[in-house]
Amino acid sequence: MVKKIKSSMNHVVLLAYLAVILFPFLFVLFSSVKANNVEIASNPFGLPTEFKFSNYADAWVNAKISTYFLNSLYIAVVASVATILIASMASFAITRMRFNKLSPWLFQLILIGILIPGNALLLPIYNLMRQFNFLDTHWALLVPYTANSIPFTIVILTAFMRSLPTEIEEAAVVDGLRAHSIFVKIIMPLTVPALVTVFIVNFLGNWNEFLLANYFLSEDSLKTLPVGMVGFRDAYNINYAQMSAGIVYSVVPVMVIYAILQEKIIEGLTAGGVKG
Amino acid sequence: MNKALRKPVTYILFLLPTLFLFTLFFIYPVINATYYSFTSWNGISNVVKFTGLANYSRAMNDPNFWIAVKNNGLFILFSVFIQVPIIILFSLLIANVKKLKGLYKTAVFAPSVMSTAVIGILWGFIYEPDIGLMNNFLGLFGIDKIYWLSDRSWAMISILITNGWQWTGFYIVMVLAAIISIPKELDEAAMIDGATGWQRARKITVPLIMPIISVVIMLSVAGAMKAADIVLVMTKGGPSGATDVMATYMLKHSIKSFKYGFGNSIAVLIFIFTLIITVLYQLLVAKRTERIEY
Repeated sequence: MVKKIKSSMNHVVLLAYLAVILFPFLFVLFSSVKANNVEIASNPFGLPTEFKFSNYADAWVNAKISTYFLNSLYIAVVASVATILIASMASFAITRMRFNKLSPWLFQLILIGILIPGNALLLPIYNLMRQFNFLDTHWALLVPYTANSIPFTIVILTAFMRSLPTEIEEAAVVDGLRAHSIFVKIIMPLTVPALVTVFIVNFLGNWNEFLLANYFLSEDSLKTLPVGMVGFRDAYNINYAQMSAGIVYSVVPVMVIYAILQEKIIEGLTAGGVKG
Repeated sequence: MNKALRKPVTYILFLLPTLFLFTLFFIYPVINATYYSFTSWNGISNVVKFTGLANYSRAMNDPNFWIAVKNNGLFILFSVFIQVPIIILFSLLIANVKKLKGLYKTAVFAPSVMSTAVIGILWGFIYEPDIGLMNNFLGLFGIDKIYWLSDRSWAMISILITNGWQWTGFYIVMVLAAIISIPKELDEAAMIDGATGWQRARKITVPLIMPIISVVIMLSVAGAMKAADIVLVMTKGGPSGATDVMATYMLKHSIKSFKYGFGNSIAVLIFIFTLIITVLYQLLVAKRTERIEY
C-alpha cells in the first residue's frame, strides 16, 4: 500500500514535468486556430469556439514556408551526405589501413576540432566565405556545415569501424580486392547502422542551425526555415494566431521524424553530446 | 598479405578531403582570429594596422563586455545549481517507475531535437506581456503583469528558463542511461539491508553516476560559452545590452560595424575563458570524481 502511494507520487511529479514540456506546444497549437489576439488573450488555455484554419493557409503564403522548407531540406540533406562520404573515407583510412604510426596522430588532431567552441569562429569563416564569393549563395552554408560535422562524425564512425573484426578484409585481400573496393563493398555496408545515426544527428544539426544561416545569407529566397521563421516573427508579431501556425509548420516535420526514429535519435544525440 | 591496405597513395587520397576541410574550417580560423585580434582591420580594406593589445584593453574597459561575461557566467551557474539537481531528481524518478517509462523519456527529450530559433520564437510568445501564457497563468494567482523580455531585471532569467526548458530533458536521458546501466544487485543488496529509497538514491545511485554528472556539467559549460542563437532570437541582446553574451557581443561589434579585428579579440577571449573554466573544473572537481568500477 505504502509502495503504491509512493509510486503514484512519482507519477504525479513526472506528469507535472510532462505538462511543463507539453503545454507550450499545446498553447501554440490552440492559438494557431484562434481568430485573433483578442481571442488568445480572453481564452489562453482552451480551444477556440470556432476553428480558424485559414491561419495555416495565410501563414503558408506570408511566411513563404514552402521556400524556406525546401532550402532547409536541400542544405541539410546535401551537407549531411557530403559529411558522411568524406568522414567515412577518413575513418576507413584511420581504422582499417595499416598506417599505425600516423593514424593515431591524425585522430587526435581531429578530436581537437570537437573542443573548439564553434560560434567563436564565425568571423574568420564569414571572411573565408566572402573571399570565395560564397556569401549569399547556398555554398556559404553547404561547405561550413559539411566541414563542421566532420570531427564528430569521424569519432562515431571510427569507434564503430574499430569494432569490426579484421578477418573480414583479410579475406578480401586474399581474394584480390583493392583498398577502395574493400571500403565500398565490405566496410561501408557493415557500417550502415552507424551511418544512419550520424546522418540523423548531422541532419538535425544542419536543419536547426541558425547563426551561420542568419549572417551568411541575406537574399530572402535562399533563407532556411529557422531564419525565415524569425523574419516572419519580426514582420507579423502583431498577429499571433498566424505566427503560431508558422511555428506549427516548422515544429511538425521534426516531430514526425522524431516520433518515427526516436530510439536512433536519442542514441545518436546523446552519443554526440559533445557536439552540443 | 596486407599490401592492399598499405598503399600510401590510397591512404592520402582517403584522408585528403577531411584534412583539407579541417585545415580550412578549424586550423585556419583559429590562427586567423588570433592574428587579427591584434590588429584594427575593418574586414575589407587592404590596410591591416597592427595595434598590439589595444582590442583587448578596449574590451576589458567596456562595462558592456563585462555584462556579457557575467551573463555567460549566469548560464553556467543556472545549469550547475538549478538544472543539475532537477536532472538528477527526474532521472531517478524515471528510472524508478515501471509504467510509462518510455513516454516520459520520449517527451522530456523532445525539446532538444528542435531548432533553438523556433523555440526562442515560441517562448517569446509565451512571455508576451498581454496575451502570453506566462502572465495569464501567473494572473490566476493574482500576480501583476511582468514585461519578461523588455524588463532589465527579468530578461536574462527569462532566457535562462527557456534554455533550461530546452536542454534539461536531453541531460535527463543521458543520466537515465547511466542509472539503468548500474547493476541491479547493488540496489537489491541495500534494500535487503533495509535502506530506504531515499538512502539508496543518495548513497548508491548518485555516487555511481557522478562521472556522468561531471560530463553533463562540462557539456553545459561548453554550451553556455557558445550560447548565442537563443539570445539573438529572444532579445537581440537587449534591453540595451542587458542580455548580451560574449558571442552576441562579438557579433554586434564586428559584422555590422566592420570591426573585424575587435570582434576576433572577443573570439580569442571566449577561447581563453572556456579554457580557464575547463582547466579549473578539471583540477578542482573532476579529480575527485574518478571512474568507479563496479
